Amino acid sequence: MKTFWWRQIKAVVRLELKKTFFAKRGLWIYLVAALPVFLFMAYAMAVSREQGRMTEMAHEGGKELTYQDLLAVKPGMTNDEVVALLGKPDVHFYWTEHRHTSAQRIEDILHEKYNYSDGQHSLYVEFVNGKAETVMLGEGSNLIRDSIVFAGVFQFFFLRLGLFFGCLGIFMNLFRGEVLDRSLHFYFLAPIRREVLMLGKFLAGLIATCTIFVTSEVLQTTAFLWAYRPSVRNLYLYHNHGLEHAAAYVGITVLACIGYGAFFLIAGMFFRNPIAPTAVILIWEGINPFLPAVLKQFSVIYYLKSLSPVDVPTPPGMHPVLALLISNSNPVSAPVAVLGLLTVALIALCVSSLRVRRMEINYTTE
Amino acid sequence: MSDRIVFEDVSKFYGEILGVNRVNLAIPPGITSLVGPNGSGKTTLMNLMTGLVRPSRGKIQVLGYRTDDPENLFKLVGYSTQFDSSPKGLTGYQFLYFYLQLSGCDSRTAEQAAWRAIERVNLVADAGRNIAGYSKGMRQRIRLAQALAHDPKVLVLDEPLNGLDPLARSEMIALFRAAAERGCYVIISSHILHEVDVISDQVILLSNGYVVAEGQIQNVRSEIQEHPTQILIRCTRPRDLAAKMIESELASEVVIHNDNRGLLLKTRSADNFYLALNRLIVNGVEIESITPADDDVLSVYEYLIGNEEVVR
Repeated sequence: MKTFWWRQIKAVVRLELKKTFFAKRGLWIYLVAALPVFLFMAYAMAVSREQGRMTEMAHEGGKELTYQDLLAVKPGMTNDEVVALLGKPDVHFYWTEHRHTSAQRIEDILHEKYNYSDGQHSLYVEFVNGKAETVMLGEGSNLIRDSIVFAGVFQFFFLRLGLFFGCLGIFMNLFRGEVLDRSLHFYFLAPIRREVLMLGKFLAGLIATCTIFVTSEVLQTTAFLWAYRPSVRNLYLYHNHGLEHAAAYVGITVLACIGYGAFFLIAGMFFRNPIAPTAVILIWEGINPFLPAVLKQFSVIYYLKSLSPVDVPTPPGMHPVLALLISNSNPVSAPVAVLGLLTVALIALCVSSLRVRRMEINYTTE
Repeated sequence: MSDRIVFEDVSKFYGEILGVNRVNLAIPPGITSLVGPNGSGKTTLMNLMTGLVRPSRGKIQVLGYRTDDPENLFKLVGYSTQFDSSPKGLTGYQFLYFYLQLSGCDSRTAEQAAWRAIERVNLVADAGRNIAGYSKGMRQRIRLAQALAHDPKVLVLDEPLNGLDPLARSEMIALFRAAAERGCYVIISSHILHEVDVISDQVILLSNGYVVAEGQIQNVRSEIQEHPTQILIRCTRPRDLAAKMIESELASEVVIHNDNRGLLLKTRSADNFYLALNRLIVNGVEIESITPADDDVLSVYEYLIGNEEVVR
């Protein structure tokens, strides 16, 4: 019997994948998945360009500088003192300001800007009449710091919007799309248990979303790391948990597909119009931090936040309500989070199987 | 009764709208036609017996199987629906191949059975084309092929001859007859009564969701008492014969044909009429043929349902 069911599931998966991957109405899902990849590609290009500029500045400057040298520059120093310390700047701008001090007098004020770099940091000094008024030390690219930015994009764009709507587009149409196309009877006329059909469709949705979004996630990570020097990249990947983080993001992506997929599969069986259930699920996921502990457990984002390998810090001065949305106030351990999410998905699939058993082909009154 | 398709007090309501009401049937093997005007409940009855819709009340069993058990039911049942859509992007061959794979066939068996079904409906040349580009008749044939593909014991066919040309119609009718002769249950819905008349072993007449009559058409006709049976006799000297019949009070009305070569009589007791026929034949009258004139589906339909929408 298992072989028989397995053969049926494979047939459902093959049919559904053919429809899901090549459906015109699903093109936007590829775009949603590709957006963060484009973002990190653009970021990689910007970082690469900035690094090239700083390296060039460091090499073409009169003196080979260190980070300590850059730190030694303080406001109030004269330009001679700065030149003595760091050498003649590679980039140097100046202009003269004619300032009216009284009705008859015009005073000329000289503005100068010096830029220095040690190859990884950039120093910007602005002089007014030969005295340093503004000193800014830019850190350049920093993989550890940028990994927090990556975590932010992953949590707040990729997970909550990209994956959420991607799963909506794929899973919600598994049954609803067939009802709209009036082709669901094709499946219902075959000697296949409705639960087996539901499982086959779910697996097809899961394979499709995982393929699209895991590929996106891997490409994002690749694009994100692309700009950094191999030594920095290796240090992050092999000594700063970079590989573990990358694996965790892939795992979270797969779990999100399972969790959201199960929710949207049910929604697609109960509702013809996707707007209402989507809004309800989106709000439910959004207000998760404010829910009582028991209700929190019936949400996907609750478990996914707990699994996130990098916490996104709350910016200082942020409104406490917004801060609560960002932070994970009472995370659960990774095994509990994985088990919890799989249990919630399993409950959703059980509800789906009850529903699919009672589904009727009644296109005219749908 | 595991050798019948059984409806026990079945009703189906779509919200406030009646689909069928209080249906009790036991359908035997052979060709059974569901006859009734649009909206009479033919498709609902078919959807009920294939589990596509669930009864609001009552119980349905198809050869002993419940209709909410598709895994076992559709091993026995093939249903050619009126729904014209199919999964997007499939060719005729793929449509059948995937259907058979869904039915649990391995690739090789599915491939062979798909081609066999395609050959049965004469669609070999177009099997590689996308179904979306098929004509109405070709779509009808591919749906018939789907219903036939796994050699089911029960064939449920909703308006199966719609869109087919005359040659294809006669081929399909031959196919249904052959299935019936093999002991299959062939349930056909149609509103084309002369076709129903030709192919049916028994009929179920439906009107406004109710079963008005069921059984072999001659038996149904004999139950209709308020309309005398009409008998057509082709003979010589029809006037003499007519006089004898009126005299014997077996005929309530007689109409002589214009060509003076026959007569149409109405009798309230057809059985007695046939028994007394030899006695009534007067000397010199040669009987060419005696044919019942109103025990066909069309007449029965008109007597029971009236002149509602129907194609003769």
